[in-house]
Amino acid sequence: MRLWEETDDGAPGTVPEATTERRRYRGPPRRAAAPMLIQTLNGLVYGGLLYVLAVGLVLIFGLRRVVNFAHGSLYMVGAYVGYTVTAVAGFWVGIVVAVLVLTGIGVILDRLVFRPLQDEDPIVTMLVTFGLLLVLEDAVRTIWGKDFLTVQPPPLLAGVVHLTGTSFPVYRLAVIGAAILVAIGLSLWLRMSRVGLYVRASSVDPLTTGMQGVDTEFLSATVVAIGSGLAGLSGTISAPLVALSPSMGGSILIDSFVVVVTGGLGSFTGAFIAAMLIGQVHNLGVVFVPGAASMIPLVLMVLVLIWRPGGLVKAGA
Amino acid sequence: MSEWALEGDGLTRRYGGFAALDDVAIALRPGEIRGLIGPNGAGKSTLMDLLSGRGAPLSGRVRLFGRDISAMPARQRRRAGLARSFQKTNIFPDLTVAKQIGLATSAAEIDNSVEVMDALGLTALRDRRAADISHGDQRRLDVALALVGRPRVLLLDEPAAGLTMAESLNLALLLRELAARWQVTVLIVEHDMEVIFSICSHLTVLQLGRILAEGTPEQVRSMPEVITAYLGSSVA
Amino acid sequence: MTGKATRALGICLAVGLAGALVPRLIGSPLLLTLLTQAVLNAILATGVGFLVRQNGLVSFGHAGFFGIGAYVVALSGKYQVMPIEASLLLGILGAAGLALLLGAAMLRLAGVAFSMLTLAVAQALYELVLRWRGLANGDDGIAVQLPRRIFGLDQSVFQQPASMFTICWIVLVLVLAGLALLIASHFGTLTMAIRENEERARFIGYRTLPPRAVVYAISAAIAALAGALFALYNGFVTPDVLYWSLSGEALVMAVIGGTRAVWGPALGALIFFLFKNAAGDLTEHWPAIIGGTLIVVTVLLPRGASGSVAMLMERVGMRAP
Repeated sequence: MRLWEETDDGAPGTVPEATTERRRYRGPPRRAAAPMLIQTLNGLVYGGLLYVLAVGLVLIFGLRRVVNFAHGSLYMVGAYVGYTVTAVAGFWVGIVVAVLVLTGIGVILDRLVFRPLQDEDPIVTMLVTFGLLLVLEDAVRTIWGKDFLTVQPPPLLAGVVHLTGTSFPVYRLAVIGAAILVAIGLSLWLRMSRVGLYVRASSVDPLTTGMQGVDTEFLSATVVAIGSGLAGLSGTISAPLVALSPSMGGSILIDSFVVVVTGGLGSFTGAFIAAMLIGQVHNLGVVFVPGAASMIPLVLMVLVLIWRPGGLVKAGA
Repeated sequence: MSEWALEGDGLTRRYGGFAALDDVAIALRPGEIRGLIGPNGAGKSTLMDLLSGRGAPLSGRVRLFGRDISAMPARQRRRAGLARSFQKTNIFPDLTVAKQIGLATSAAEIDNSVEVMDALGLTALRDRRAADISHGDQRRLDVALALVGRPRVLLLDEPAAGLTMAESLNLALLLRELAARWQVTVLIVEHDMEVIFSICSHLTVLQLGRILAEGTPEQVRSMPEVITAYLGSSVA
Repeated sequence: MTGKATRALGICLAVGLAGALVPRLIGSPLLLTLLTQAVLNAILATGVGFLVRQNGLVSFGHAGFFGIGAYVVALSGKYQVMPIEASLLLGILGAAGLALLLGAAMLRLAGVAFSMLTLAVAQALYELVLRWRGLANGDDGIAVQLPRRIFGLDQSVFQQPASMFTICWIVLVLVLAGLALLIASHFGTLTMAIRENEERARFIGYRTLPPRAVVYAISAAIAALAGALFALYNGFVTPDVLYWSLSGEALVMAVIGGTRAVWGPALGALIFFLFKNAAGDLTEHWPAIIGGTLIVVTVLLPRGASGSVAMLMERVGMRAP
């Protein structure tokens, strides 16, 4: 995922030619590196989006012990649904509808895919969700076309703030804020609510939790719905920052997989730390080695795994 | 050259605040058959795990014929001559009996595969898939895999589990004979007291992660603390 | 030579020759083109299937290795640094080397994590090639400059479906024969054992990471070989050779054909391509078709066609599993 707008005045911009051109990627505009604070903040923006997406994966994995390969596609669908609804009813309605739609899709996904396949080898679910990834990508391409689409941030957040001599878009700060809110909200929910408790217990020991008479089906549907909703949220709030395309799910999926594995499969805290780390690293990569940016998180992950084969944090934390 | 075949000291494993094994020391003389007994949860399997290199690295030390093997992974300990069998049958289901014995043999210095299969009654089953043979045969296969290569020290974790009384006794006597023939030092965990008393020269009793008593079977069976620990099991 | 080995060799020769005859029997150039593609994909699918069989791991990113094989050939043609035959070898060794490196980090992980990362690696490679236009022209792709003669044969041999089919078919048979030999060897037994019970394998004295890394490397090398052949045949390489829909295709073939028999995925490729031929002109939505097919076959056919064949043979008492 590229953060397009790094134009010199720091205002959220769009990429002029991209909307009308075919699937031709021109590469980022070349400019000098912005000051340290701006870099860090940009890294936090991407890290935040990544966290919201990746934590959905962790939730689903924690409960169903399977990886939802279609998670990046849910992100993409969230962005596109947000785009369409925004065009009709404004940005805020767009977010709400997108999240609701994705939550609904999550429930369906749980019912039709995860639940029927829960007794099979996890690889079966992974193969099926991978198939779903391919189908969704094509569906989006068919419905919305393969041209890049753009979304403007809402007027409320369209301005800039001035920090240490440079300007920084308000919208991006809002994204960081949203990610923090999600992190706090999720943390509280996991620690305080009963459902949250079961989720945490299940991610450490699914068998015992299942045996304790917890209504695992309801629990599972809830968790998959929330996880999908978060994917949709990440997609829709990222829309003003990136150019929408049917392959947008691709690079963020790579990074979210890297985040989940680096953080430690099943760990929420690990996902947060890893997301922040990868966010910074990816962003630095985008600025300094734009062509190879996608490889940097992978290299980082390999290094982490060699140091700590289980990932940064143990499951359940 | 040490006088002890296998020594462990300061062996500890904790899970959070709970000590499965708490500062345990054990020493086996070459050629002895030591029984490791104790009530459930005493830490017998944990001790086996620590001695054989299974699970997290231990605190404490393990020495094999005087050589410090504490830092060695299980693979290396096997190559050094320390082998073990498992309480829960741990074999290769899809391979034939011959193939898996053969695999173990290739990693060993001595080819005693024919002898092992013969002794454990597996020769007739050599071309059968391990998943297809009876439970009793699978247990014997589990033990056979540990015997390949004539290890110097053998750790057996409930080898008779799930076997009938007759089968258990047969296995016990067989092990005693092989141990004598090959001069193997054996540490055997067992709940079946018939087995323990028929082959062990000495016993170590564990309780709640600590050593409760040690001595010959006759000595141990009449120790009051041991009797109390078992509360009326077949020791008394 | 033992009876069994002679028989096996006989089968290989017979199958190899049969394949060589196919182009004579089929008149339609279109069908022949499809079949050539099928065989190329069969080689890729074989790589994927071998990894499942020997390591019990599923790779969602084998297109990455395929792409490496293809791009090394294409780039060597562009920069003229080495003869094209050497670039073929380099691509294969490069893919194998990468697999060894990745294996060292990734094989310690649970199968689920491993699979996730195979997807991530391949997709990262795709993005790399796509965005770094200076490297390989990005989306526009590179034309493969073929010299007059390749491996002593005239260049056109690799471009005509009829002759290329024969070449690829022979390569496929050789790969399958090689894998069969490997499976029957000590290494094959060892890796199967590790797959079944990694812990006990260690407790009888074996290292378990290097053998698995080697299996991964071999499966990567096979995929790269397929990619290199593709480059020679297609004459043009784009980032699509690295895209996950190709990985998905290989998986579909492996699932359809089953992985228990080493020739299962190749059978799956054949079946899949017959299906593709029948599906006709839906290539617009090809990724969706692959996705849908994958879902259907995964759910309905857990053992695959070769599994069914094996089950049949067991019943008839022909062969132990």
